[in-house]
Amino acid sequence: MRFRAACRNLQYMMIQAFHLTKVHSSGVKVLDDAYFSASQRSFVAIIGESRTGKSTFLKILGGEEKPTSGVLRIDHRDIYGLSDPEKSQWLSEVGMIFPDLKLFPDKTVEENIHFILQVKGASGEGEKEAIGKLLSRAGLEGKAHSKPADLSSGEQSVILALRAMIFRPRLLLADDPFQGLDHKASSLLFRLFMELNKAGSTIVLSTQQMIFLEEAKKAGTETRIQWMKLDQGKLHPLEEAIP
Amino acid sequence: MNLSRFFFVFKEGFLQLFRTRGLSTAVVVIVAATLLQLSLFLGISRTLDRALGSAREKFQMAVFLTPAAGDSDLKRIQELLLSDSRVASVRLVTKEEAVQDFRKDPEIDRMLQALGENPLTDSFTVILRNDDSQKLEGLVEKLKQDPRIEEVDYGKNEWETVSNLTRVVRWGGLILGGFIFLTALFIVSNTLTLALWARREDFILMARMGAPAWMRTGPYLWEGLFQGFLGALIVVAFFEVIRHWAGLVLQKYGGFDVLINLALTEWESLYLTLVLLGMILGFLGAYLALQKKWVKELR
Repeated sequence: MRFRAACRNLQYMMIQAFHLTKVHSSGVKVLDDAYFSASQRSFVAIIGESRTGKSTFLKILGGEEKPTSGVLRIDHRDIYGLSDPEKSQWLSEVGMIFPDLKLFPDKTVEENIHFILQVKGASGEGEKEAIGKLLSRAGLEGKAHSKPADLSSGEQSVILALRAMIFRPRLLLADDPFQGLDHKASSLLFRLFMELNKAGSTIVLSTQQMIFLEEAKKAGTETRIQWMKLDQGKLHPLEEAIP
Repeated sequence: MNLSRFFFVFKEGFLQLFRTRGLSTAVVVIVAATLLQLSLFLGISRTLDRALGSAREKFQMAVFLTPAAGDSDLKRIQELLLSDSRVASVRLVTKEEAVQDFRKDPEIDRMLQALGENPLTDSFTVILRNDDSQKLEGLVEKLKQDPRIEEVDYGKNEWETVSNLTRVVRWGGLILGGFIFLTALFIVSNTLTLALWARREDFILMARMGAPAWMRTGPYLWEGLFQGFLGALIVVAFFEVIRHWAGLVLQKYGGFDVLINLALTEWESLYLTLVLLGMILGFLGAYLALQKKWVKELR
């Protein structure tokens, strides 16, 4: 009976990682026999000092950096064993906020967001209104026709986050999304994460910003956040940090 | 490809075309220059081919029959000739008609009067089809086997010279034209590779976002196709100007007489060929650029 329940739990897991090790070409070991699991609709926050491997870990989850060894299953699939079309299909349900995943410099803000909807196969009627509404919520309604070069770095970060969230991904990976944002923008972003999670998305984010902790405390028990710390290549649960 | 995909590729291809205007212009100019070379070359080789063709048309074969050949033999041999695919037309020249021709020369006329009888035999003047120059030997051999045929005369050496020249012009044209096309393809492909290099960041971003292959490569292929089309349009416009405005001037001096006097339908087929060649050149150039190893490694 207990075995069957364990199996059911395992089946319910969206991300499962065992013995995950990543050694960079420079020889630095950023992940060392790490374990990680996240169920569907969960909200995982990984905190840690800079250069502890948080970004690498998220890139591994996003299918961008193959682990040196170990097992990684997302939706019970080895994402590094997918063919090109299968990977495109899988990525159509994944949103990524990575600092190097920039906006297209030749497209306007609106075009950049519209483009992701096309890539993810989520474009359709009413999308212009939806983009306008989202931009207006972020206080950027006047920037719809601006090019990225005309935006501040904070505005660009918010647009990057909106771009990753507008198509309601099943899995959102956010690498330090609050970096460079003022308090107001960070609060907005945090609220949007919460809403997305409530709507059914699984969120894994990494951060060094304490603002996130403060916002999480304010949110109280509305959303259960699974806290983890990445330290010396290993992921540790931080139950005590739950607000 | 469904309609929304088509519009995506169409729009993105156009946007890319304007984003890298410099390189796009270079590709269009290269395609135009290549097509101009090819069409001038095509014009020259066509003119030569026509000249050789009209030379070939002047060749006739004379089939002389034996004196014993009767009416039934005449009919049989005429049918034999007409049934051959290498023969365009056959005209019977009776010995009476032939002797009338001879009598026009007073000296031969005196000789014929002294002889007292017509020494000539019936013959056929055979006009040959243009395309079957190489197979002529077979026809001659077949005719010579007939007991009622005395001699077959067709100016063997001249015929072979013209036929060989025609072959050289056709093959030479094909090889040189192919060489020009391949050289242009190499240059176009490398210029489009430069355009890809300039936009590699966008290419990587699209791949990382999960854009499927058609989204990444479709606009580039369309862009190449369109650049080829634009290059061809420039050449077509150039020829139209030559034909309508400069034609009269050039005709006065003889230069491009043959080219300018081509019938309208031939101009249309030339334009269509140029547009098709231009589009193939652009599309293949873009396709080859996308096949480069470093482009594939962008994911």
